[in-house]
Amino acid sequence: MIAVFFAGLRMNIIQINKGRDIPLSGAAERKKVLCALPPVVAVQPPDFYGLRLIPVVKPGDSVQVGSPLLEHKDDRRVKIVSPASGAVADIIRGDKRALLAITVRCDGKQSALSFPKTPAAEVKHLAPDAVIGQMLSAGVWPCVRQRPFAKIAEPGSRPKSIFVQAHMTDPLSPDLDFVLEGQEARFHAGLEILKRLTPGTVFVCCPPSARSRAIQEASGVSVVGFAGPHPAGNVSTFIHHLDPVQKGDVVWYIGAEDVCRIADLFLEGRFNPRRTVAVTGEGALSRVYGQTVLGAPIRHLLTGALLESSRYISGSVLRGTDVGLDGYVCFYDQQVTVLPLGGKREFLGWLRPGWNKYSFSRTFLSSLPRRGTEALFSLDTDRHGGQRAIVLNHLYDGYVALDVLTYFLVRAIVSGDLEEAQRLGLLECADEDFALCAFACPSKFDVGGVIREGLKLIETEG
Amino acid sequence: MTFLERKIKNLGRHFSAGKPLAKFYPVYEALDTFCFTPGTRTSKAPFVRDAIDLKRVMTFVVLGLMPCLAMGIYNTGYQVLLARGEALRFGACVWQGLFKVFPVILVAYAAGGFWEVLFAAVRKHEISEGFLVTGLLCALIMPPTVPLWQVAVGISFGVVIGKEIFGGTGYNIFNPALVSRAFLFFAYPAQFSGDQAWVAVDGFSRATPLAVLSAAGHGGQAVPALQEAGYSFSNMFWGFIPGSIGETSTFACLLGMGFLLVTGVANWRVIAGCGLGLLGTGTLLFFSRGPESLAFFSLPPHWHLVMGGFAFGSIFMATDPVSSCATNSGRWIFGLLVGTLVVLIRVFNPAYPEGVMLAIIFMNAFAPLVDHYVVERHIRKRSARLAAFRGEAGCR
Repeated sequence: MIAVFFAGLRMNIIQINKGRDIPLSGAAERKKVLCALPPVVAVQPPDFYGLRLIPVVKPGDSVQVGSPLLEHKDDRRVKIVSPASGAVADIIRGDKRALLAITVRCDGKQSALSFPKTPAAEVKHLAPDAVIGQMLSAGVWPCVRQRPFAKIAEPGSRPKSIFVQAHMTDPLSPDLDFVLEGQEARFHAGLEILKRLTPGTVFVCCPPSARSRAIQEASGVSVVGFAGPHPAGNVSTFIHHLDPVQKGDVVWYIGAEDVCRIADLFLEGRFNPRRTVAVTGEGALSRVYGQTVLGAPIRHLLTGALLESSRYISGSVLRGTDVGLDGYVCFYDQQVTVLPLGGKREFLGWLRPGWNKYSFSRTFLSSLPRRGTEALFSLDTDRHGGQRAIVLNHLYDGYVALDVLTYFLVRAIVSGDLEEAQRLGLLECADEDFALCAFACPSKFDVGGVIREGLKLIETEG
Repeated sequence: MTFLERKIKNLGRHFSAGKPLAKFYPVYEALDTFCFTPGTRTSKAPFVRDAIDLKRVMTFVVLGLMPCLAMGIYNTGYQVLLARGEALRFGACVWQGLFKVFPVILVAYAAGGFWEVLFAAVRKHEISEGFLVTGLLCALIMPPTVPLWQVAVGISFGVVIGKEIFGGTGYNIFNPALVSRAFLFFAYPAQFSGDQAWVAVDGFSRATPLAVLSAAGHGGQAVPALQEAGYSFSNMFWGFIPGSIGETSTFACLLGMGFLLVTGVANWRVIAGCGLGLLGTGTLLFFSRGPESLAFFSLPPHWHLVMGGFAFGSIFMATDPVSSCATNSGRWIFGLLVGTLVVLIRVFNPAYPEGVMLAIIFMNAFAPLVDHYVVERHIRKRSARLAAFRGEAGCR
């Protein structure tokens, strides 16, 4: 207890005042459940932003855990590997032959390719190039992403610091502190390896209430608690407050569970495909933390009667992907959200008092104080209104935890003034940071979409 | 599906592509979504959305205008009966007021709506709810004696030149209702200024409080001059004075302001800035008065608040988020300058006894400039912060 107390004192806490939590009902119970190996898993190229992937297997090929399935066209060292052993079932393509997924039928053995092992005491002496080389060849590399542009890190770059995301504040998001419980040794070894990759600091960003030994006893890194509402747990928020990105800078970031994956690669010499996924949302009957593998089918994680008419989202309601009941969990997502579809037309909706309608604004009776379970809302995927030009331009700034003027940033991008957009801080942003703006906007303006466009333009045009 | 929903859906067939009414689809769409929420679902993140939409925002502004409308109707009738020397019964006042005000609102909505529909049909976009507010605002800032054809001409000018040529609601530079009034004010000065415009009785002449002070000239005392003309602070506050339809009652405006601020629809910074700018400049003039200065100098500053259209303009028109500033510091500056300009125009410009309309339009034009400097300052602060981080990293 005393150790926890002192460790708590050591943690720096940064208070985020902007932003807001959406009180969505349907959180997952704090219970980890070991899921059976799914019959089929998928690797989905659209998850890997910034890579141009080409398949290196054919349907029918047998693969092991860690066998390459896809390679990056511009740098063949970057590979995406199979999370299961078995045979390649299908290569799914969409419009214009865009690669959508490679599915692997599992044989249940989970036999894995083996890679060189390093004793735990030795990892702190590994050479950076050796670390990167092994991560690339074992397919762990795509776990590491970079800012600016929120894409997969370039193996040749040297980041000025590395951020470990051990905190998420999206609605119903998993408690990563809880996920890390019992994985102390792996997590700490993973941090040691990450420290080899940067001359700067490794930041572990966690909730201020983090109690797991994995976080409390992490040494040689900077542990920072982020207090406050969403987006306190966004990577951009961490970076902005600890080591902001400027033109020419690169920082890397990685999820807490993926740090353990790196450790497993070096300590055990294999690609560990384990992934903890929180099953959340009103539409899911049993809401727990499921321990499964990367790319597991959504259906496999859910129990009981499943409605075709629900919305099955890999990730949170703010930044997830609609994958459908037959879809698969995306590579980086640690959460599945099942929402009621909604979209029922209501008579004179613009005039209703709205006791049960959730809004950040104070134009519904629901904004009167509530207590207990009443304070949570069941939200569906109704857009609640038509798209219009932005009118209430004073709303956005209250929901972005970065030092940017959102309305002017959007205006600069829409008018094609990328220089101005960079001066306004576009490089520090990712589309996910503006999800609350898009949520709150009465004009239903796609703020995140514009930001994504702007980043894409800067990336391609330099 | 309810009976009404079915009926509306059936009606929609006539507006579908290839049918004769296809061009007027926006009209059908407006009717349809007026009756029922659109029910559209999100297709990408964020998958859940706030229940508020622009219809509700604009409806709330209209609701906020209701006290002014009610008071405007009552007072218009009240002034008529007062001028005729008849008994001031409540029912009679309301009836007389409705008789004058209702046609003005009807014409404003009809003419403004016509242009909205036309532009929506040509540009193939949905009809924007902004015109619900513009139409009512435009009606409420007309003198009660205004000829109806002038209302139609004015709002047509306001909607087309003030808004639609810029791309419609959300893109306009000036407040369209104010553009309407400014156009009418300069095009038909006989109906929009002078002493005969403000009570809806033919040939009846009574100067508004601002005109009284304007006429008082040098060396006069403001409060006695007003009292002599029958104006006290309280009847100007409650609004039993001649003036444009909706602007006379400061009390009604404050009720609307309370509603808009509690619901968060209007930005308080603009309103606070306007009030402070007006009081500050008013105070400055009050204390710099000499024996030979204009009568306006001796007006206690808080009297400015209840005179003319200041309360109405600062609460309902300066706060238009599209045509005012879009940064928080900018909103303060915008408000302060509007307040200051109102007093300066009132006091120093004998041609225009009321300065609110011109002050807001003038500041609308300067809002982008104010924002520009605020944004530049923000960018400088940003790069200073980043440089500080870089310096720290260098020391490490």
